[in-house]
Amino acid sequence: MEIKGSDITQLVHGAENMSSSQRKDLGRALCIITGASRGFGRTVARELSRLVKPGSVLILTARSEENLRSLEVELAGSEAGKSGLLVQCVPADLAQMAGLQSVVSASRAAFSEHIDHVILVNNAASLGDVSRFTSSFTDMAEVDSYLSLNVTSCLCLTARLLQALPPRSGLCRSVVNITSLCALQPFKSWALYCTGKAAREMMFKVLAAEEPDLRVLSYAPGPLDTEMQSVARSSTADPDLKKTFSDMFSSGQLLTCEASCAKLMKLLLEDSFTSGAHIDVFDL
Amino acid sequence: MSDINSTNPRTLGRGICIITGASKGFGQALAYQVSRSLEPRSVLLLVARSGPLLQEMKEELQSATEEQQLVVHCVAVDLRTKEGVDETVRVARQEAVDEIEHVLLINNAASLGDIAKFETFTNPDEVNSYLSLNVSSPLALTAGILKLCPCRLGLRWSVVNLSSMFALQALPSWVLYCTAKAARNMMFSVLAKEQQHVKVLSYSPGPMDTDMQKEILRLTNVNHNPMPCHESAAKLMKLLLDNNFSSGAHLDFFDV
Repeated sequence: MEIKGSDITQLVHGAENMSSSQRKDLGRALCIITGASRGFGRTVARELSRLVKPGSVLILTARSEENLRSLEVELAGSEAGKSGLLVQCVPADLAQMAGLQSVVSASRAAFSEHIDHVILVNNAASLGDVSRFTSSFTDMAEVDSYLSLNVTSCLCLTARLLQALPPRSGLCRSVVNITSLCALQPFKSWALYCTGKAAREMMFKVLAAEEPDLRVLSYAPGPLDTEMQSVARSSTADPDLKKTFSDMFSSGQLLTCEASCAKLMKLLLEDSFTSGAHIDVFDL
Repeated sequence: MSDINSTNPRTLGRGICIITGASKGFGQALAYQVSRSLEPRSVLLLVARSGPLLQEMKEELQSATEEQQLVVHCVAVDLRTKEGVDETVRVARQEAVDEIEHVLLINNAASLGDIAKFETFTNPDEVNSYLSLNVSSPLALTAGILKLCPCRLGLRWSVVNLSSMFALQALPSWVLYCTAKAARNMMFSVLAKEQQHVKVLSYSPGPMDTDMQKEILRLTNVNHNPMPCHESAAKLMKLLLDNNFSSGAHLDFFDV
């Protein structure tokens, strides 16, 4: 029976897992983070940069080139950046074919035999117009456009990357879906957002059921202090829901991206979640 | 004098009923059953792509319901297009007279999509087109129909979403279908929560002997023991006539 070097690494790695409750790092990883220019995605990029080994690569994508570049500079100047972390910006509109292709090409180019972990964080999303109720969505094009960004681009990017970065011995592949309580519960005046999140939740459950070797996690980060939340509390049509958001803000109950991201990192390091599971920040 | 309601069979009232995907399969079976439960001078809109099939149905229905004076409109449109949805709403609006007691919308039109591994869905045009028919279109149509007439006392609103157990349960290789059904289930749940006067039902009909089921057999080689459409349609009719379901509920043929 042929025993490969990478098998031995896995056995040792496994033994280390048994002695401590979690890995100390995420390996020599190729990380692709969407919506990396601000909010939670930006924090994920920062936190991942601290947990991956030298020789790792971060592919950061978003529409805003300017914001991506400033993050790239920040990370390049960080300790990780100085010890061999490669950071690449790919400004792209993931709802367009060209955008998808550019992220996949960059990822394929960055993928080498030294990479032992691929981490895709599907974070890019939009709120949709929460100032209106379900019965106002008479314009198919508006709904199509929303689903295109929040569902289709996520499905196609994930599918393309899984094809471009195929399984091999010693390679772990993790796919994260940034989700929400809205994937599980309906909220008044949030038709598009709830619908998109529910669609993604199911999408990733199907993926997890198909590919038992993939590590698929739907992580709900909780109410974060971001621009998206700011729009939510100023625009939500349903008065009760709007008040809930305002109250959370004024009483300091919004989470920082860092606090929520730390929980996501813990989940990835422990790597004991059931693939396809929905885990909420408040579950931990 | 005895209460007239206790001797009359239950009905859907004098209504305007819109059924999409009405030319065959479940939509067709439901159209026949609904027509028997609508009171005189009700209106039935049959929506599908095939004009000729709809016209045949119209003739059969009108001869079967002569005394009832059922008005049947064939709306031969492609619901993947804005024009198709808008035309359906336009015809419905024309028929929504003041004496209407019930607006009943059956979102039945759907497609199976390709049954294939998740990894193969690399083409956004294919996925967008699928979501447009199966998610955007029923949302836009429902929104349009809900604006048909102002809310008033005595006007009943019912919206049905033809769902599936795969709205709730992931099935390998069925990512398109599962995703769209899960999306619809949530979408109609939000509607139910927002609108107290609209009763929303997500009905999972079970496997039926339709062209879609033949396609499933061809693509997957799995026989789901389909039942005749009219059997499942009868159960949906009972749910609508009893009208006891909680708005926003997801009910399966096998649970009811």
